Amino acid sequence: MSTKILTQHFNEPKLHELATYRKLGGYKGLEKALKMKPAEIAAEVAKSNLRGLGGAGFPVGGKWSTMPPADKAPERYVVANYDESEPGCFKDRVLGERAPHQIIEGLLIAAHAVSAEWAFIFIRGEYGIPFKILEKAIAEADEAGLTGKVRVRLMRGAGAYICGLDTALLETMEGKKAWPRQPPPFPTVVGLMGQPTVVNNVETLAMLPHIIVNGGDWFAKLGVLPNPEKKLPGSGGTAVYSVSGDVEKPGVYEFAMGAPLRAIIDAAGGVRGGRKVKAVIPGGASTPPLSASELDTPMDFDSLRSVGSFLGAGGVIVLDETRDMSEVAHNIERFLAHESCGQCTPCREGSEWTTRILGRMLEGKGTSGDLPNLQRIGENITGKVICALGDTVGMVTRGFMKKFPDDFKSKVPA
Amino acid sequence: MTPVAAAKPFTAEEEKVLKSWTAHYPYPIMGLLEALRQVQLWNLCVRPEHEDYVASLFKTTRTRVHELVTFFPMFTQAPTGRKRVGLCHGLSCALAGSDKMAKCLEDKLGVPEGVTTKDGEFSWEEMECLGACDFAPALLVNEDLQGKATEDVVAKVARGGK
Repeated sequence: MSTKILTQHFNEPKLHELATYRKLGGYKGLEKALKMKPAEIAAEVAKSNLRGLGGAGFPVGGKWSTMPPADKAPERYVVANYDESEPGCFKDRVLGERAPHQIIEGLLIAAHAVSAEWAFIFIRGEYGIPFKILEKAIAEADEAGLTGKVRVRLMRGAGAYICGLDTALLETMEGKKAWPRQPPPFPTVVGLMGQPTVVNNVETLAMLPHIIVNGGDWFAKLGVLPNPEKKLPGSGGTAVYSVSGDVEKPGVYEFAMGAPLRAIIDAAGGVRGGRKVKAVIPGGASTPPLSASELDTPMDFDSLRSVGSFLGAGGVIVLDETRDMSEVAHNIERFLAHESCGQCTPCREGSEWTTRILGRMLEGKGTSGDLPNLQRIGENITGKVICALGDTVGMVTRGFMKKFPDDFKSKVPA
Repeated sequence: MTPVAAAKPFTAEEEKVLKSWTAHYPYPIMGLLEALRQVQLWNLCVRPEHEDYVASLFKTTRTRVHELVTFFPMFTQAPTGRKRVGLCHGLSCALAGSDKMAKCLEDKLGVPEGVTTKDGEFSWEEMECLGACDFAPALLVNEDLQGKATEDVVAKVARGGK
């Protein structure tokens, strides 16, 4: 059963306009939040068990609480991360196109919660349509006096996937190439222009109005509750999935945290042409694949970790029985090699090597050393680089090789 | 000998727009990327003289500006076509046959990837995930998304229609 929060009014054609959004209860969350103390908002969000929906799944309340107090560091910023660039992910694009005010309202609540007077939306440069829609929506909100003392500014990226990583995004905003920083310190302590900065994904921010209106408990109960015995933090609320690949109806589908993967695929009309599932990438191209026997896996941060993958940003890519997993791995590694920022040697070189070896295997020129080399290269990248992109480079091919060994063994001499 | 003034790379009107980016954010330097983006749109590339101008406007070095121009794929040092066509070859678009669309673009536009047509009208390139996997295979024509690309869609783009 699909549970809808962010997409509940998506059949409303003029939802992107302020009047329609307000008629459907929009900006009531901000109104209520402005009457609350920042600490009260943070407490409600902590209670909601909202976790970062841009990929990392970091508890939002926990992130905010690491900011130094406003009287000690008065210059502080909030940044909405709208740099959605992971293959298989497009839910942020749709959320901004359909309900831009939901994002702006969430951003304004976050600004109030951390006492920031500047709020930014960093959007990838290729998102021309959502940019224009957001620009108009911000102007509408300004004119209606909703932004108050918070100055909201849009900024566009210039085509680099790595900007989706918070510290690389901050470097870019400062007019530098997008080389990730090595935390600590984390951005909440030393962020934009050296000042405390909260960076949250746009879907995460869009959840805030609903949490403030309905309460943190309501949100937490919709999702997967924490399990103190197993030391699992749980995941509150819902997630909006981008479903693509070999399905009948690619699109965005919202489900409560913990819904089985199978239900999400079914919502997208099932596998195209009545074929069978071979593999599913659950969270976007950088998350290791699940096999057809794992379709009952609950979709939440903790459950996917327990099966060796990640919820990521919820980019579900379905691969049917006709697909060759070595081709899929090659496509993803080629992407990562192109997007590696070049700062850490293992990632910069390893992504290229992996892509070249897989490419050679696909041309029928595989050698007996290729599979051990792919394994060894992967092991020498993950955990030995600054950021998650590098970790991914070492994980993707190994993930496919582990679950679908035949697709790789068939490309090298026996 | 009277020194010859170097040709100014921008008109007075353009200079005004670029300058406005120095005041848009809390720190002037934060407008650098947006200003470069504007330069790319006007000139279809960012030339050394543009880099010099932008560097002095943002009180930074030419090296730093050049670093951005070479790091970010959206900036080019040679002119793209007036219509810059991007073909997504991310996983979902590859599954939907983006490689066939690449051949089709080469045929219909008459130039290989990364080369601009003689009349300066078109260039095309494979791009990483455009965030339109629900419309695979996706094409981006300047800022406009053209989803569900087929030979007919590519032919229409090549004729200049949407």
